[in-house]
Order: sequence, then structure tokens, then C-alpha cells
Amino acid sequence: MSPWIILAIIVGIGFLLLLYGVGIFNHLVALRNRFQNAFSQIEVQLKRRYDLIPNLVEVAKGYMSHEKGTLEAVINARNQAVGGLQKAAASPGDPKAMQELAAAETALGGTLGRLFALSEAYPDLKANQNMAQLTEELTSTENRVAFARQAYNDAVTAYNTYRQSFPPVFFANMFGHSRDAELLEFADSEAIAEAPKVSFE
Amino acid sequence: MSTNFYQRQSDARRTTKWLVVVFILAVIAIVATVFLATIGLIEASGKSQLFAHSAAGYSPRAWNIPLGAGGITLALIASGTLFKLAQLRGGGTTVAENLGAQRVPQNTTDPVERRLVNVVEEMALASGVPVPPVYLLKNENAINAFAAGYSPSDAVVAVTQGTAEQLTRDQLQGVVAHEFSHILNGDMRLNIRMIGVLHGILLMGLIGRMIFRIAAHGGGNRRSSKGDPTIYFLVVGLVLIVIGSLGTFFGGLIKAAVSRQREFLADASAVQFTRNPEGIAGALKRIGAFASGSRLKNAHAAELSHMYFSQGVWEGFTGLMATHPPLEKRILALDPQWDGKYPALPEIPDVVTELSTPAGMVGLAAGADEVPLEVVRRSPEQVGAPTEIHREYAAELIASLPPVILDTVREPYGARAVMFSLLLDSNPEIAEQQYASLSENISSDVVDLTKKIEPSVRTIDPRARLPLVDLSLPALRTMTSEQYRNFSRAFAKLVEADQRIAAFEWMLHSVLLRHLRPQFEPSRPPRVAYYSLARLEKEVGTILSTLANLDNTGKRIETSFRHAAKLLPDLSIPLLPVSECTLPALQRALETLRTVTPKHRYRIIEAAAELICYDRDVSIKEAELFRGICDLLDCPMPPLLPGQPITARQ
Repeated sequence: MSPWIILAIIVGIGFLLLLYGVGIFNHLVALRNRFQNAFSQIEVQLKRRYDLIPNLVEVAKGYMSHEKGTLEAVINARNQAVGGLQKAAASPGDPKAMQELAAAETALGGTLGRLFALSEAYPDLKANQNMAQLTEELTSTENRVAFARQAYNDAVTAYNTYRQSFPPVFFANMFGHSRDAELLEFADSEAIAEAPKVSFE
Repeated sequence: MSTNFYQRQSDARRTTKWLVVVFILAVIAIVATVFLATIGLIEASGKSQLFAHSAAGYSPRAWNIPLGAGGITLALIASGTLFKLAQLRGGGTTVAENLGAQRVPQNTTDPVERRLVNVVEEMALASGVPVPPVYLLKNENAINAFAAGYSPSDAVVAVTQGTAEQLTRDQLQGVVAHEFSHILNGDMRLNIRMIGVLHGILLMGLIGRMIFRIAAHGGGNRRSSKGDPTIYFLVVGLVLIVIGSLGTFFGGLIKAAVSRQREFLADASAVQFTRNPEGIAGALKRIGAFASGSRLKNAHAAELSHMYFSQGVWEGFTGLMATHPPLEKRILALDPQWDGKYPALPEIPDVVTELSTPAGMVGLAAGADEVPLEVVRRSPEQVGAPTEIHREYAAELIASLPPVILDTVREPYGARAVMFSLLLDSNPEIAEQQYASLSENISSDVVDLTKKIEPSVRTIDPRARLPLVDLSLPALRTMTSEQYRNFSRAFAKLVEADQRIAAFEWMLHSVLLRHLRPQFEPSRPPRVAYYSLARLEKEVGTILSTLANLDNTGKRIETSFRHAAKLLPDLSIPLLPVSECTLPALQRALETLRTVTPKHRYRIIEAAAELICYDRDVSIKEAELFRGICDLLDCPMPPLLPGQPITARQ
């Protein structure tokens, strides 16, 4: 074989590899930025939710003075969740931070549920305009969080799938994408999936 | 400025063409050099059979080598260019994401980010283009910014942290107006093409360096008896390096020359948009005073150097390679009284106090139900050239929207509900059907939100509806493709459920989808396919006939149509009967006419403006429908305001 043909083959292969590597690198960067940006949408909505909760507790306090324990639990859970959000926002996709946030959110959801269940017993509180408005706001914010979470999870899935797929899997580690990003799952989605238990006792 | 939007669009296209021609010449020169260099090499090696045909017979196989070398070079450049262009197809979002910029949520509560988003929103509504997503380059303290994308639909505006924090609102406005001028003048497409074209040549130098290194390393220990092939590799590598660097150098010169001229234009347009030379001049002075100036840290920065607000990378010794004119020159052009001193210690502006919106005085307060005739008639001139009055109006319009709508439309979840409620019919029965169709196609919480927000959306001024579509776009563009599919399906069903959809609602629907689609579905940016209207008489006829039928009854349909057709004397435009003036037909006509050169689109808009003015009465809905049609023709029309200064016809 003449040296020219060898040269042509080497140049061709090297060039294709180079292009391919650059393409994979850029695509990984873009996908990571995309899910990190998607997380900022969740952050905005969660912050709004955390801002609403102290107001809600403040209103409820006036009527539910006997339920001090529950109210304090809500505030504590809220503060926990604020901390979790700050950590998660610092490194979106980090498994530990995301699980912490999910756990804190689940705890908050639980205590809030208890608060609402208790408030059924206080007709005056239910009739309160402020309370109704805050509850409504909170529900709609939860829907927004769910929507933003879906977008985030879709973006994370796209990133993980690309990272694990055949050629990129060789390069991902080298380019600093060594770990899958973590989905953000709140416990409520599990609760829905779980079949209700029926007891005949 | 003497030129108008259409002229500047044509100029940008002509510059692009010129650039492509120069590039093709450069490629031909490079390929020819490689070809000749290979021949020279073979001749020098003494085994030449190339020119031996006179003596020992012609040997065509010997020519394969130089031809092959030329071919490989050509293939290298072409694939490098195509690869980069394919990579940039994602438009502005991809460019910003590759640079590591972070998306600023439209509903941010951080004061610095809020101010930035407000300024961008105002500027977008004033120019009549969709609000572009805003990106922040978080770790860059230098003062710089860029706009990227192929068209206003997929444009993004990105600024550095330094820009967002260090400038006063007026200065920030100047910077954003400068970037909008790039969006409106069609510079972004030019910029992206330039990146692609230069990438091909740049790659060649890189590969040359690679080959050279491999050959130099491997050459020492492998000595074959049949001559030494590594010497060829060394030479070829060297040739590629030399040609690549020469190509990059000249390519850089061309890029810099084109870019410098567009920067002056953008500065001038920014002053025209804000009527405030001090804003942008102040921002430039701040760059001069600032230690890190406008220099960026990101490794990819050089590739985009011509897109920035101010010189983003080192410009070389002579300024020949500078993509931006010298700072002093730009400041002096804006502020001739400048003493050449940069303010020594720039005070950091207090962002929070600047957040409050200015007191209103224009447009909305006047509360007229009609749009002045002269404003509409002269409106084709104001396309792509918003002025301060439009920006004030936009700020006031945003302030006048109920806060609940504004909050909802700025985030992706609620933005869908606002868009749905814009399409709901005023007739309760039809609205009932629409809700039924909506419930089938989308989750119930969105339907509930739509029901909740609908009463407030109904009360807003018709003039605020198109801006609402523009405001919703950055939020809607953050949907994932699955969310988009559900949204667009529900949206289409909603339109179908209302059998006799009104032209105005149809227009909102088309504008929204047109700007949203490029984000989620692969589509090509429109390119010019027609250079005259001669073969498009039917399409022009469809638009004018539809407008004539909407605006008039009986005999006046024909007289108004004839009146408008007089502006296009070289064409024989058919007046179509009402039965043929359907909205799908209008849609098709607009899609075709988008591919006509800007100059001819100007003539269509002019005729359309004349037609709606014929009955000497332009309602707000008509005026907004007209603005929507201009938008669908890729001619962003600023709001039509009573009392605005009327630009003289050329």
C-alpha cells in the first residue's frame, strides 16, 4: 500500500473520531445544563410553597390553639425542606441531595396532610377567607411543582439515557459525567401507585 | 438612520452571501494549494510519472495522489463546516447551553434577575417579537452579553453576572436594546453561519497539528527499507498547519470586518430603540472602567467572539482581528462630548429601588377604541424599529395586566392555562363544548386553573392579547417534548371544538405555534425562495381578500380591495369569493409569502395596511390582527399607538 492511502485512512479515521468525541462532549454538556435549568423551575415553585406555609400556620394558630404540636411539626418540616432545597439547588442531580429533598418534602406533605385533616374539626377555620385562599394557593403550587418535576425528570432521563447509551458510555467518564443524575420522586406518587388495603374485620 | 428594517434584513442576507462567496474562494484556494503542493512533493521525490507521458507514455494512475489529497482536503473542510452547523441547529438555546449559561426562570424573585427579565420583556413587547429566554453566565464578572439563534422564534439573550449586577437600569436597557438590534437585523443567522464556516478551516489546522505530532513521534524508530513514509506525514502535517492557520487568519479577518460594521449598526439601533444614548454609552464606559472589562473566561468564548456586546476575547495587536470597534470609538460615536476618561469608581446601583415600574403616560391610559389611521398607514416603516414610546407602552402594558395573569403566564404550568383561556369563545355554550374537549385531552388540574384564570383573561384589553402570547413563550419553551405534545394536541382540539373560530383567535393560535414549534420539532429556518411576487398573485390575493371580507360588507369589499391592489400595480391580484377565504388557505398563503424577499414582504404589508384603513376606521382587533399577520410574515411590528411620532415615508 502506498503511504498516501495509509495517510488518507489515518486522517479520515482520526478526523471522524475527533468530530464524534466533540459531538458527544457538547451533547452531554447541553443535556446536563438542560436538567439543571429544569431544576430551577422546581426551585421557584418550592420556594413559593415554603413562603406560603408560615402564613397558613399563622392563620391556623388563631383557631387551633390546642393543636400546637401539629403546627410546630409543620414549621419544623418546612424548615427542614428549606434546607434540603438549598442543598439540592447547589448541586441538582446529586443523588444524596435529591433524596434528602425528596424525604424532607414527603415529611412536609405528611404533616400538612395531618394539619388539613385536623382543620376539618374547626368549622370557623374552614370558613376563614384567608385560610381558603391559602389552601387554594398551596394546592395550585403543588400542581405546579408536579409539572416542573415532570419536566425535570424527563430532562434527567434524557441525560441518563444518553450517558448510558453505546458510544457515549465510553467517553462519559472521561468528560466528567461519571454519575447518573437522580430523579426527583416524592412519596405521593408511590402512595397513588399503592393499592388501597381493604380489611374485613 | 436612513435604512429601514427590510433594507437591513436584505443587507444581512447580502453580507451572508458575500461571506459564502469569499469562503468558497478561500476553500478553492486551499484545495488548489494542497493539490499543487502534492505535485511538487512528488516531483521533488524524483519518482515522478506525472509529466512523463511525452516520453514513456501517459500514466493516469499517478494523478490519483494529488487528486486524492485535494479531495480529502475538500471533504475535511466540508464535513467540519456541516458538522458545526448541524450542532448549532438547536439555535440559541444550544449556543447558550454549550457556554454553560444558566436559564433565568421567567418568574424569578431574585431582584437582580427580576430586573433583567423585566427589561428583556419590555424590549420584546416593544419590538413585537416573542420574549426570548434569558440566560445568565454565572461566573463571569466581566460586562458582556450576546444574542443567539436563527430567528426571533428561537433567539436567546444571555448576559454575564457582571452585566446584571453592575449596570443601572438605563445602561442595562442599552445593552439589551443592542442585543435586540442583532435579533431584529438578522445578524444572528449571519453569526451562526460564520461560526460554522470558520470551523471547517480551523479543523484543518488542528488535524495538521495532529498528523505532525503523530509522525514526529513515530518517525524515529520505524525505518523501512523502501524509503521513509514518515517524512510524507511530516510534510503533509506541516502543509495542513500552514494552510489551516492562513485560512483561519484570513477567515478571522473577514469575520472581524463584518462584525465591526454590524456592531456600529447595533449601537445606533440601540439608541434609536431607547432614545437614550447615555444608557448604552454608560454601559460602555463602565466596561472601560472595569478591571476585567468585557473579557470572558469560558474556553468556548473565542468561537462566539463576534456575537458579544463588547470584545470578549483578546483582539490581537493591531485591532485588525478585533470583532468589535475600539471602545473609545464606540463611546465617541454615542457621546461626542466624552472627555476620554472612564468614571473611576463606578457606584453599584441599588437594584431594588429600580424595580418599580415607571409612571404611565402613553397608550393604554388614553383608552381609545380605535387606532389612528395615519399610524396604521405608516406602520410598515416601523417594523423592526421600536422606539422609546413603544418601550414605555410595553412597560405600562405589563404593569396593567392583573398580577395573577402575569404570575401565571410566566411559568410553564400556568402559561398553558392562560393560552387555553385566550381561545375560549365568548358564547357560554361554545365555551362549554371547548371545556369538554379540554377535559378529554389534558389533566383536570389544568382545566381547573383555566376556569379560574378565564374571567381575568376575558377582561383584559384586546391589545394585551398578542403580548400575552409573546410573554408566555419563554415559559412554554421549557416544557419537555412529551409535555409539548400533550399541550399542542389539546390546543388543536380546542380550536377544532370551536367550529367557527374567529380570525383574531386563529391569529393568536398561529403566532403561538409558529414560535413554539422550532423548539420541539425539527424545522428549517425559512429561506428566501421567491425574488418577486409575480408567481404569487393568488397568495397575495388570499390575504387581501380575507382582510377585505373581514372588514367590509357588500360593495365595499370590492372597492377596498381594488384600492389596496392599486399599490401593487405590476400584479393582477384576484379577488377571491368569501368561500375561498378560509383560515387554512390564509395559513398556506402566509407560509409561502414568508419565503419572499423582505422588500416584497414590505409591499404586501403596505397593501394590507392600506386596505384596513380604507373604511377610515381601524378597530383595535383589526390592528392587532394586522400585527399578527406581520408577525407571521416575519416582520415584527411594534405596537400601533395613538400619538406616536409618525415615521416619514421614504
